[in-house]
Amino acid sequence: MTNISKANLLELQNVSFSYPDGSQGLHNCSILFRRNRRAVLLGLNGAGKTTLFLHCNGIFRPQKGQVLYNSSPLDYSRQGLRELRSRVGLVFQNPDSQLFSASVREDISFGPMNLGLERHEVCTRVEQALEAVGMTDYAGKAVHNLSYGQKKRVCIAGVLAMQPELLILDEPFAGLDVSMQTELNLILDQLHEQGITIILATHDIDFAYQWADDICVLVQGTCKAVWDGLQNPQQLEQFVAHGFGMPRVAQLYYSLVQSGLLASSQAIPRSHQELLNLIHG
Amino acid sequence: MLLEQYASNNRWRQVNPAAKGLFSLCGLTAVLIAVNPRVTGFVALVMVATTMLGAGIPLKDYLRVAAPALLFLLASGLTLLVSLRFDAPSGLVLQLAPSELPRAVLVCTRSLGGFTALLFLAFSTPVNDIIALLRRLKLPEVLLDLMVLCHRMLFVLSGAINDMRTAQAARLGNAGMRQSLRSLGILVANLMVQVWQRSLALYYGALTRNNDGALRFLEPEYPDSRTSIVIAALGGSCLMVLALVIS
Repeated sequence: MTNISKANLLELQNVSFSYPDGSQGLHNCSILFRRNRRAVLLGLNGAGKTTLFLHCNGIFRPQKGQVLYNSSPLDYSRQGLRELRSRVGLVFQNPDSQLFSASVREDISFGPMNLGLERHEVCTRVEQALEAVGMTDYAGKAVHNLSYGQKKRVCIAGVLAMQPELLILDEPFAGLDVSMQTELNLILDQLHEQGITIILATHDIDFAYQWADDICVLVQGTCKAVWDGLQNPQQLEQFVAHGFGMPRVAQLYYSLVQSGLLASSQAIPRSHQELLNLIHG
Repeated sequence: MLLEQYASNNRWRQVNPAAKGLFSLCGLTAVLIAVNPRVTGFVALVMVATTMLGAGIPLKDYLRVAAPALLFLLASGLTLLVSLRFDAPSGLVLQLAPSELPRAVLVCTRSLGGFTALLFLAFSTPVNDIIALLRRLKLPEVLLDLMVLCHRMLFVLSGAINDMRTAQAARLGNAGMRQSLRSLGILVANLMVQVWQRSLALYYGALTRNNDGALRFLEPEYPDSRTSIVIAALGGSCLMVLALVIS
C-alpha cells in the first residue's frame, strides 16, 4: 500500500472547472500520474489539456473535486503554492507566454531567483539548465533574436533551473521542425534518465505510441481512458475510437503481417526502428 | 530594431554598463553646463566618435538610427530663427530673426550633444543591461518591472502586428484606401485583445515560476569593471571640465 502511494505523484479526483464565460474546462476528471514515468496526455483541441495542466501547478483551483500531490491534497496557501511550484515545472505551448527578460541567461534565472537562492547557486543552476538543453552558446543572446525552437528550449531551461521533480510540457512539439523535434526528444529522454517525471500533451500519435510509459486520453474535459504504454499494441482501437487514428508503425506492421510479408511477432514494434529490425531479422 | 541589434552585438557589449552609463551621463552634464556652442558641438563629436570607433558602429547605420531625431532637431532649430510679429501694419508677419542665431546654435548643439550621449549608451548597451544598472542604482522596483515588461512586449506585439499585417495583405486587406483604413481598425481592435491575452499568459507564466510580485533576474558580471569605470570617469570629467572652463 505504501509503495503504491509513493508511486502516485499527482492525482486529480473528480475535478470540475468552468471558465467565467461558461465554457467547460474539466468535467468530473479523475486521472493519476505516477512517479518516474513518461506520461502522454492525448486530447483533441479544446479537450481541456491546458486547463488540466494549470490545475497541476496550482494556477487554477478546482471548483469541484481535488488535486493531490504525493497523495496529499494541494495546499493553496502562499507557502503551499510556493512549495508546489518549486516541484512542478510547467512549460507552456507558446514560448512568448513564458519568456520575460530580453536576455536568455536572465530569463532562466527568473525561477531560481524567485526561490530566493544565493547568487552562486542561481548561477550554477542556470549554467546546468543551459547545458541540459544545449543552449550554453546562446546564454548572452537576446530572446527575441532566437528561433521558435530555441525559445522553447530556453523555456524548458527556465523550468529546469528550478530543479522540479515533475516536468509538464504543453504541446512541446507544436511548431518545431523534424530535427528540432528529434533534439527535444533526446533532451526529454535525458531528463527522464535523471529521474524527472514527465507529463506532456501532444497530438503526435506516432510519438505517443513509441515514447509513452502511460497514455491518458482526455475527451471534453473528462479522462476517458488510461493504459500502460506497454499495452499500446493491444489498445489500437482506443486510438482510433477517440479520433487520433492509427499509429503508422502499427498500421504498417499489421499490413505486412496480413499480406504475409512479415511473420507475426511476440514483441509488436512500437517504433520505426523496431519495425526495421524486425523486417531485417 | 537596428539599435537593439547593435546593442546586443557591439565591440563594447562586455564593458560594464556602469562605465558606459557614467560616460554618457558626463556627456549629458557637460552639454547642459556648457555655454559655448563650440564645446557642446565638440562633446557631440566626441560622443559620435566614441560610439563609432569604440563600440564599432558603422556611420551608415548610425545615421539611419539618428536620422528621425536629427530631422526633428533641424526643424526645431529653424523655427528658433523665425519670429512672429503681431504689431505689423499688415497684421501677423513671420520674419527671420538673425539676432537669435547664437541662441539657436547653442540650443541645437546642446540638444545634439545630449542626443549623441544617449545614443552612445543605446548603441553600446542592451536595454536589459541598462535596467540591471538602474536596479543597482535602487530605482523603484515597480518602474523597473514596467520597463522589463514593456521592452519584452514591444517585440512580442511587433511580431503579432507583423503577422496580422501579413494576413491582411494576403487577403487584399490593403488593396485600396478604404480597405487599408478598415484593416488598420481591425488590426488595432485585435491588438487590444492580443495584449490582454498575452498579458494574462505572461502572468500565468510568472506564477508557474513562483513569482510573487517583483521580477528578479540574475545580474550579469563584467570583466575588469574597475578599469573601465575609471577610464569612463576620467574621459567624462575631461568633458565636464572643458564645459566649465571654456565660456
